[in-house]
Amino acid sequence: MYKKLPKRDPVTGDVIGIADCILRVSDKACIPFAPDNSDYQVFLRWCEEGNEPLPPDEEK
Amino acid sequence: MPIILDGTAGITTPSYGGANAAEYLVPVTAFKNRIINGAMVIDQRNAGASVSVNNNNTFITDRFAVRAATGSGHTSARSTTAPAGFTNSLLVTVGTGGSPASSDLNYAFQAIEGFNIADLAWGTASAKTITISFQVRSSVTGTYALSVTNASLNRSYIATFTINSANTFETKSVTIAGDTSGTWATDNSLGLYLFFDLGCGSTRQGTAGSWAGSWGVGTSGSTKLISTSGATFYITGVQLEVGSTATSFDYRPYGTELALCQRYFEKFGNPDGSSSNVFFGITSSTSSTSARGPRIDFKVTKRAQPTMTLVGSLYYLSGPTWSSVDFANNPETNNTQCCFLQQVITGGVAGTAYTISTTAGSGNYITASAEL
Repeated sequence: MYKKLPKRDPVTGDVIGIADCILRVSDKACIPFAPDNSDYQVFLRWCEEGNEPLPPDEEK
Repeated sequence: MPIILDGTAGITTPSYGGANAAEYLVPVTAFKNRIINGAMVIDQRNAGASVSVNNNNTFITDRFAVRAATGSGHTSARSTTAPAGFTNSLLVTVGTGGSPASSDLNYAFQAIEGFNIADLAWGTASAKTITISFQVRSSVTGTYALSVTNASLNRSYIATFTINSANTFETKSVTIAGDTSGTWATDNSLGLYLFFDLGCGSTRQGTAGSWAGSWGVGTSGSTKLISTSGATFYITGVQLEVGSTATSFDYRPYGTELALCQRYFEKFGNPDGSSSNVFFGITSSTSSTSARGPRIDFKVTKRAQPTMTLVGSLYYLSGPTWSSVDFANNPETNNTQCCFLQQVITGGVAGTAYTISTTAGSGNYITASAEL
């Protein structure tokens, strides 16, 4: 299972969108959207099977 | 310049290029062995601790992973049981064994980067012959299988070897003529897999001794270690080299071997398992709920932009409370050479700097993984 991560303003830390990486829920690993990254390749295959990552946590 | 100590002539320093020039040539054997950590000495993840293995590829010693789909309760670890000349081996211990289902995958393996096999010229008419050698010990004797497979899993060569005596290390080698067909990567992607079969299901069984246009790992007749409860399998001294003869194991300096491993995996904080806080640097609070920094430079440039994982938690001296870390992912801050810590906190004061470290305890660290 994967979850989207919020993208933050590098100065203020405010959430400004969705990050270019995905959270692997089982071990909280941050997987970059990098074509050479094997974890990202596994994520892409998971999506191709019809799965969708969870939305990012809402900021409190 | 060579120096000759001779009982008659004394000390002489002949020049290169003379009639005896060849005797001054130093054999070049750099990176003879394309397997990294073949002696199983480096174990950044587990430091010798036994870990459970199941139907996922689980890294044990650096660069080596184990998968065991059949049965349950299997473990693997870096072992100190080793043959003469070695200090460690990779140990797989079967828990409750079983008969592998057709699609079950049970093996130990290493994936080799394309850059490190480019000179093999596989997939061309000039494909070079390789020899794989290793020391292996098992509680179950019989004929075992190994396999060399490409990244697309559509070219493979199965070879067999026999373990004659139970619980005794034996030296084995197999020679494989290079594949003149198929696609074999020569860049930073996966070049080839070397699998040691522990009893794969029928779907991954093939014929030994020739190249096939499919993914084979073992043969129907090879020993199914995974079927024997409590069985043990040790392997070390794994070497893959160009040529048709197995030569002596290519011992590399520990630091060199560690650096080779760190191209694929690196662990920050408590590398020695100490329980102290490990200082990372200075972070700056940009608001009450956000802090930035520091940048962490990797010891070795990674094969690819790595997956970052914080295990445990972070700690601020006399500062805010840590909530979570965000490995901000953009090319300016996260790449193959470094990562940047962006943290969600509570109780920060904007514009204030704090020291940041791992929380005390050996279970708190950061990893960067660019495994194949």
